[in-house]
Amino acid sequence: MKVVVNLELCQGHARCEDICPEVFSTDAVEGKCVIEQPEFPADLEEKVRLAVRNCPEGALRIAKS
Amino acid sequence: MTLQFQPFPPDHVPAELMVDFDFFRIPEGTSDPAEIWHDLVRRGVPDIFYTPHNGGHWVFLDYDDIVEGYRDHSIFSTYQTPIPPIEPFPVVQPQGVDPPEQNVFRRLLAPMFTPIAVRGMVEHLEHRSAELIERFADRGECDFITDYAEKFPTGTFLYLFGLPEERLPEFLALANVFFRSTDPAERASNITEIYAVLDALFREKMASPGDDIASAVVNARDENGQQHKWENILNCGFLLFVAGLDTVTNTMAYIWRYLATTPEARQYFVAVLDDPDAFLRAIEELMRINAVSNLFRRVTHDCEYKGIRFRRNDRVILPNTVANRDPDVFDNPQKIDLDRKVNRHVTFGVGPHRCIGSHLAKREVMVTLQQWLKRIPDFELAPDQPEGSVFGGSVMGFTGLKLRWPVAAK
Repeated sequence: MKVVVNLELCQGHARCEDICPEVFSTDAVEGKCVIEQPEFPADLEEKVRLAVRNCPEGALRIAKS
Repeated sequence: MTLQFQPFPPDHVPAELMVDFDFFRIPEGTSDPAEIWHDLVRRGVPDIFYTPHNGGHWVFLDYDDIVEGYRDHSIFSTYQTPIPPIEPFPVVQPQGVDPPEQNVFRRLLAPMFTPIAVRGMVEHLEHRSAELIERFADRGECDFITDYAEKFPTGTFLYLFGLPEERLPEFLALANVFFRSTDPAERASNITEIYAVLDALFREKMASPGDDIASAVVNARDENGQQHKWENILNCGFLLFVAGLDTVTNTMAYIWRYLATTPEARQYFVAVLDDPDAFLRAIEELMRINAVSNLFRRVTHDCEYKGIRFRRNDRVILPNTVANRDPDVFDNPQKIDLDRKVNRHVTFGVGPHRCIGSHLAKREVMVTLQQWLKRIPDFELAPDQPEGSVFGGSVMGFTGLKLRWPVAAK
């Protein structure tokens, strides 16, 4: 599975980075989401799903890879 | 603040959407000013209603509408929004302009407030927080507002702007009049004074720049390689001064009031101080429950939204505290669940104007919790709380909060 971000929607809340820093970080210029590991390992699935559900902008989604 | 004269309800507002609601008026005996908003929901007033108070304005109560109010700047603008109306009002940068014009100052400020930038401030914040707390820790009591919650964010502002600590009293005084005065003449001269201070500060930072936000703003160049308009530079400084003080002060006041009255919560925080995942979840829950800001928007053109007629220049209030307890979005919304896993609160707004200082604000709360609980793990409300110390408005909060705790005999 793969997680993708819509950077038009992302406003840099960084909730994803707080919840799952293994997969998400933020950039130094705008503070927007950077997906370090789009194809995340299965043991991180729960955390990635929580990051998706906590995004206040609905900017993240999980896609079949 | 209530206008002497309340205008007649405008003719585009149907009678069934009229509600008598004054968001500045906190009934006597109310201990939590946010309750006036939750009371509206309990009374079952319409999700979108109009009140004639404070110059007349709409109120949104549903999470989805509040989010729409933040996102759709083609209808709901941030340009000159004060309620009650004050015109002319400074066009603060970048908050008071809509995209795409907003992007100019937003992009200029953004790198200085990213999570990466804020992580670089942690050591300084820890030092500042510890130093303040140690001034009163041995005393066994403090007024949390005046001894800590005002001084910490105001001092942080001085640091970010490259100003000396000695100027703290001056800036505290300016901020106090700005946030608490209801006297129009005093308010007007206060704003003039703040602008004069900012003008002198930016001139100084232009002549001898430092590694600080004021220097970065005044020495930035626009797309044509020119300095930004002086007026915009001042309006940006004004925003940075006012946006991060009262909000942080009162968010902390709410949190420390809750901790003072909830021993299990204090123990919980002590237990999770070294567990980043649990600590961050608990912080987000504090942010959800203690949303002090009610944001304003202004309707850009005559239009319909959800079948309701809005007229150009109608004002709208978006109360975050109500959105954050919407039962369609949050499980068991009235419960404070420090381990809440799904928490899409809107305390920092959403959309293009998402609070640019949100990471700094959260970090100020986190650092204070860590430094405080290490030194004062147990505390309670003092029995003699000042009367009438709660206030409503665009930021809700407390003018005083007396705390006490046991101290070891020396």
